[in-house]
Amino acid sequence: MTDNQLEKQTIKLPSCRKADWKNSLPLTINKLRPGVIDLDCRDWLLGCRELKQLNLLFQQAGIKIDIIKSNITETIISASALGYQTYLNLEQSDDFSSELGRNQLRLKNNSDVFFHQETLRAGEHLEIEGDVLLLGDVNPGARISARGNVMIWGRLRGIAHAGKDGDNSAKIIALQLRPLQLRIANEVARGPKEAPEPGLAEEAYLDSGKIVITPASTKPFKAE
Amino acid sequence: MKTNTRIILICSGKGGVGKTTLTANLGIALARQGLKTAVLDADFGLRNLDLLLGLENRIVYTAQEVLEESCRLDQALVKHKKEPNLALLPAGNPRMLEWIKPDDMQRIASMLSEQFEYVLIDCPAGVEDGFKNAVSAAKEAIVVTNPEVSAVRDADRVIGLLNTHGISPVQLVLNRVRPKMIASQEMLSVDDVTDILSLPLLGLVLEDEQVIVSTNRGEPLTLNGTNSPAARCYSNIARRMQGEEIPLIDPSKEGSGIRDKFRRLMQTKIF
Repeated sequence: MTDNQLEKQTIKLPSCRKADWKNSLPLTINKLRPGVIDLDCRDWLLGCRELKQLNLLFQQAGIKIDIIKSNITETIISASALGYQTYLNLEQSDDFSSELGRNQLRLKNNSDVFFHQETLRAGEHLEIEGDVLLLGDVNPGARISARGNVMIWGRLRGIAHAGKDGDNSAKIIALQLRPLQLRIANEVARGPKEAPEPGLAEEAYLDSGKIVITPASTKPFKAE
Repeated sequence: MKTNTRIILICSGKGGVGKTTLTANLGIALARQGLKTAVLDADFGLRNLDLLLGLENRIVYTAQEVLEESCRLDQALVKHKKEPNLALLPAGNPRMLEWIKPDDMQRIASMLSEQFEYVLIDCPAGVEDGFKNAVSAAKEAIVVTNPEVSAVRDADRVIGLLNTHGISPVQLVLNRVRPKMIASQEMLSVDDVTDILSLPLLGLVLEDEQVIVSTNRGEPLTLNGTNSPAARCYSNIARRMQGEEIPLIDPSKEGSGIRDKFRRLMQTKIF
């Protein structure tokens, strides 16, 4: 198995500012021998479809992707959804601080993102010191709370509490936001009565002391 | 211990949604298919599975005596008079609830699994000790719920607990479905319920007055082969448990049979 370990290397996609991976990657792959690799997607915002394309390219060359790394949370979510092991690069590279960072969630510095992949059912309470990303639903009667942001890749129908230790800049994001109750820092709001448009991700944040819900934007989390 | 014995917990969280009725009817329906089936009443505090099966007057020993080893298992088992493939292991007296431990339930279940192909455990309501004892003995579970917000919420809680106990597969039976109320959107629809619980649906049971009649008589509906709506649903569930593929009842189409159509026609004013 030492052979395998030797061969396992990290392939980095080019920074999305400099070149398109679709052009350069086939050349890179041609140089590789079949085996297992880690793929660092850097600052590429990749959905499930792109990741599948990527995987296909590697597969054709007999290469298996083991871990997907990325600077961008959305890419990590898509990769997790496809069943890959993922790794979020927290230290940000130089080419990252530019305007390109605009499309990604700005996470609290020095905080860990906690991934949890399972639907929270009634009576369950997930409490995290940091940001939390839940792959699954929060059912009515369940609670999710975090010191930082609460991100839900699924439906929020229970109670969510972001910034539980008083962080006013914390946000709650869900693919479908129809909570019983929302709490951000020390503010509490009842969920909206009417169901949201399907397929429209929404976010909740504090705006001058009130919790407001808007369609999830691509604007960054407030930087500290 | 037979390894292929299916030990199935029938639970709901909320009381009164139809756990015991389902246990009794499934027990009979499985036995009618020729499968050796045992039903175990784990509701020690408020036992009434024996009532539903009409076996109350034939109980001599209970699970309590079996555990104390003051009688043999086959002495305590009560064979159903009309359906010899079905046997009931009655619960002991309510005081048993205080001393019984998960180990005891496991012992009973493994004893039963030596003789039977199916062991159905009728779980008590709630999520306290009685539930924990019952869950420890089971391999798989059927969660019963009604199309009501409170029943669904409790079922959701129970499913979470079943998952932490490593019970798999967990399937769903939606009981007391009223097609008319669903059509008029006064009741949670089947989709609403499965949407929240996200479990495979093993079957729907239609609301049926005959259930009350049969409960009072101590003759489960599936026993006498009546063609009442609930009886059909129960036997379909039993056949699905055996791996048969039977389409689910569509509540929106229910009541569109010839008789119902005729009745509707009579009500329609033509002139």
